[in-house]
Amino acid sequence: MKNLLNFFLKYNYWFLFVLLETISFALLFRFNSYQGSAFFTSANWVSGAMYDVANNVTGYFHLKAINDELVQKNVELELQLESIREALAEATEDSSGIEQIKREALAGYDIFKASVINNSVTHADNYITLDKGEADGIRSEMGVVNGSGVVGIVYLTSPHYSIVIPVLNSKSSISCKIRRSDYFGFLKWDGGSSEFAFVKDMPRHSLFSLGDTIVTSGHSAVFPSGIPVGTVDDIADSHDGLSYLLRVKLFTDFARLNDVRVIAQKGQEEQLELEKQVKTIK
Amino acid sequence: MTYLQRIEWFIGLVLLQVLVLNHMHINGYATPFFFIYFILKYNSGVGRNVLMIWAFLLGLSVDIFGNTPGMNAAAATVLAFMRGPVLRLVTLRDSAEDFEPGVKSMGFSPFFRYILLCTFLFCSILLVIDTFSFFNLPVLLLKILTDASITIVCILCAEAIRRKK
Repeated sequence: MKNLLNFFLKYNYWFLFVLLETISFALLFRFNSYQGSAFFTSANWVSGAMYDVANNVTGYFHLKAINDELVQKNVELELQLESIREALAEATEDSSGIEQIKREALAGYDIFKASVINNSVTHADNYITLDKGEADGIRSEMGVVNGSGVVGIVYLTSPHYSIVIPVLNSKSSISCKIRRSDYFGFLKWDGGSSEFAFVKDMPRHSLFSLGDTIVTSGHSAVFPSGIPVGTVDDIADSHDGLSYLLRVKLFTDFARLNDVRVIAQKGQEEQLELEKQVKTIK
Repeated sequence: MTYLQRIEWFIGLVLLQVLVLNHMHINGYATPFFFIYFILKYNSGVGRNVLMIWAFLLGLSVDIFGNTPGMNAAAATVLAFMRGPVLRLVTLRDSAEDFEPGVKSMGFSPFFRYILLCTFLFCSILLVIDTFSFFNLPVLLLKILTDASITIVCILCAEAIRRKK
């Protein structure tokens, strides 16, 4: 008995070591499982408030570039709008019809403005922290976009902050399609450069070519259809040879995210509920 | 070094790491993990348990800000656990002696070997945990090599600046 006690006393640091490592890995795996708490992340109030302050300072550095992008985008949209308006005016003599179409396009969605206060692109699993949370109407499973394209999906929310799983995360899987031909697949990322991601499960008979634009498919309840994702950069065979694997150059520059919009689709719960029922039947 | 000074260092290094260094990279490679300087410079006479608890809290703070719960904490705890043996391996001194590891107290070559071993140990563990799901060996090795190199450069710079004072 005395020997046993001496043994424990002599090697007590081993026990502390095992204990601390166990806590670390418990935190790691709990965060990876879906229903983790937001406490041990940058969505808690201390780190959230600190990143807010830091973002107030660093946010100014990108303003010029962001402004340039917005002006560019604005010009493009204005030109498009003009040509579409002309076409529409030709097609329908009734001018109130145009107003109605405009209203209907945004009727199904709530859009929240949010700022990125923490971001990374170097890990295998990157996360983004936003400065809006449950109190502002953000819930998990909402889509996040910026001016140029898709960013990710809201993962965890605390009262005033939320964490987003961006495309640059091994857990991210976004349903998307080729704009020209409507064939769809899943957008995945497997590490490496933050500029490229992959579209998997693109059927063998689908039609596309290099440079085609990839947009969200609208099949999931998260994103409406037609939000830009990127362009086809390279075409390869999938590992099992049954489908194509497309390398996509992403429109969104993840290393320079600042202002984003969170999209909430009305009736999202209804669709999720219905899909859950189907899964339980199986 | 008093406790208050240690806590100042602790907070300073965590803020430097999460606000500046975590965002530094060259196409995803070469991120410095300078906060382990705190563990490397702790007096050699410190108990293993005390150093491990400091390291765990340090790693956990960096984790909480960086959205990587447990990763840095696990790697820093291993580093604190292995630091004593590594220090004894590179110095031929009596292990009972209490000194702050540095160029002055150890000489350049033993100190360099000490930070080289410790940094590579830390970066390897951290990045293996991080890239768990991918097993892309060349990328992983290149990441370990570049991250550890830039960390060592940072530590040597800090040493040089502090020695001049």
